[in-house]
Amino acid sequence: MMWSWIPQNWSQIWHLTWENLKLGVLPALYGLIISLPLGVVAARWRWIYPPVLTVVNVLYAIPSLALFIALIPAFGLTDTTVIIALTVFSLCIILPNVPPSVRQAATAMGYGTLRRLVTVELPLAIPVIIAGLRVSVVSNISLASLGQLIGVSSLGYLFIDGLQRDFPTEIYVGLFFVIVLALVCDLILVAIRRVLTPWQPRRQRRLERRLPLRRVTA
Amino acid sequence: MITFEEVTKEYPDGTVAVDALNLEVPAGKTVVLVGPSGCGKTTTLRMVNRLVEPTRGRILLDGQDIREQNPARLRRGIGYVIQQTGLFPHRTVEDNIATVPVLSGWARGKARDRARELIDLVGLDPALARRYPYQLSGGQQQRVGVARALAADPPVLLMDEPFSAVDPVVRASLQDELISLQNTLQKTVVLVTHDIEEAIKVGDLVALYRPHGTIAQFDTPERLLGDPVDDYVAGFVGFDRGIRRLSFFPSAGLELSPAPVLSADATVAKAQATGEPWILVADDSGPRGWIQATRLGDHPGGTSLGGLTAEGVGHTFRAGIDSLRAALDAAVLSPSGQAVAVDDEGRVVGVATFDELRAAIQAADAADTAGISGAGRAREAVPADNSKKRPQAATPESSGSESSGSESSGSGSSGTESEGSEPSGARP
Repeated sequence: MMWSWIPQNWSQIWHLTWENLKLGVLPALYGLIISLPLGVVAARWRWIYPPVLTVVNVLYAIPSLALFIALIPAFGLTDTTVIIALTVFSLCIILPNVPPSVRQAATAMGYGTLRRLVTVELPLAIPVIIAGLRVSVVSNISLASLGQLIGVSSLGYLFIDGLQRDFPTEIYVGLFFVIVLALVCDLILVAIRRVLTPWQPRRQRRLERRLPLRRVTA
Repeated sequence: MITFEEVTKEYPDGTVAVDALNLEVPAGKTVVLVGPSGCGKTTTLRMVNRLVEPTRGRILLDGQDIREQNPARLRRGIGYVIQQTGLFPHRTVEDNIATVPVLSGWARGKARDRARELIDLVGLDPALARRYPYQLSGGQQQRVGVARALAADPPVLLMDEPFSAVDPVVRASLQDELISLQNTLQKTVVLVTHDIEEAIKVGDLVALYRPHGTIAQFDTPERLLGDPVDDYVAGFVGFDRGIRRLSFFPSAGLELSPAPVLSADATVAKAQATGEPWILVADDSGPRGWIQATRLGDHPGGTSLGGLTAEGVGHTFRAGIDSLRAALDAAVLSPSGQAVAVDDEGRVVGVATFDELRAAIQAADAADTAGISGAGRAREAVPADNSKKRPQAATPESSGSESSGSESSGSGSSGTESEGSEPSGARP
């Protein structure tokens, strides 16, 4: 471990961390933007849910490197390729899980469909949405390092460079920053959820436990 | 007024939930739909606010077909309370209550003020206004549910098993509260329950359903207990309906005898002179106890009654206020077989024997059967005055509801959540 290497290369580490952060967060947000309407539609017309889920699962099964390579002809060796691929892995169909009694009460009080969706169902889905984002963001941050294999800069650079130069310090630093980045993002998401859902009992967050952990695809 | 005209609800699989129903819910009255599960009572209720659309027939609200109105607007004029409360978990108590006013376009401040009024009306602690539903006990949540339904002051209130999910003590206090609210607000209430006791307690009229969406009997609770149309109804209202029906007969007509009542300083000789088999010793604070006449002989004639051992009174009833059921109960529990009547301050006003009770019951029964309103409430469907002043029965429910503050302790919520304990049964 060569500690002096760190301050000497600080600006590069910082730059790579920032790139890695972008590759982790943006796909998760795009994934959410695509998944949310799908979830709303699937909650409304239940028969849509099983086929959509099957398609999403098949997409998860594609190795990420294979997906990068498949996208290169269209988007080249760019950020876009990595972001699109990771967006695919961030799809997470969330069914707004509103207790039937709450839905019924809302209807019976004179809510229209759209207003009920926006002011009742979506706010109640926040815990599940954030739980989904946590899984996506953390797995994307780790998957983003693979982007380096097609030349898109991320903390993955430190792994490849360290390996080629037989310089373990660089690999350790890369690993450390990936983990710290993932942890920090996760904590921020938890904090956001706390702020947005003061109405949740502190101890039991049953909604989240219902969401199965997604397998990280490599 | 809500009118059902030949209303049928048939599901695509052929199940008939409601079968050619004709029913009239008079304005300002509480009509209870009661029956076994799957009898169509909830379907009937949900057709009123168009959560369920009838297959055939029509439903009129104050003479207007409900299908002519936009469903959302129709629903804002109809309060709705359900068993699971359906409170919005992400909104505070006051915002939950303000839901319909806000939907109807009130300014937020005005809607909040209205919510505060209702918090007071349903007997909730104002400190709960900023809490979230998960922080409330079951009984408190149900009160919020009722307040929310009443927020926009709708003329009609639909209640679907509103009190089924809370424990018996809380349920009794919520029922009492509903009756007293109804006395002031006079909403047109349709309440669904599977509990015949609840139906009899809160209903001005009760519609008892048969299993497949037809009504077996639509009548006042007194008539349902006193004159069931068939064995099905008789079976449903229960085996002790004769005694329960006495709840509807006031004790005002009961003849009270002051003869056996003596003060503590009266002498044994005076007691013997009355010729009564039992002597009730009483003072200004109330009855002290019964002494059997045969035991008096053991003591010199000059002994004052206060010095003798007396047997407990058991149970008293308030003359003219409580029902004949309470009086009968007092007689059954009394060692002398005589019911002790007291006034509002608890002072003894007289006693009644079984013979006098029987006479009073027969008189009340005769008056009721003759259709004279001698039974406190008219048996005809729509009495002119809307007050639901009912003689109070000495049932376990009503005695339970008198213990105030029992709600939060009874509902089993944990310490912090119930700290704003409710002034439950405390309201008169």
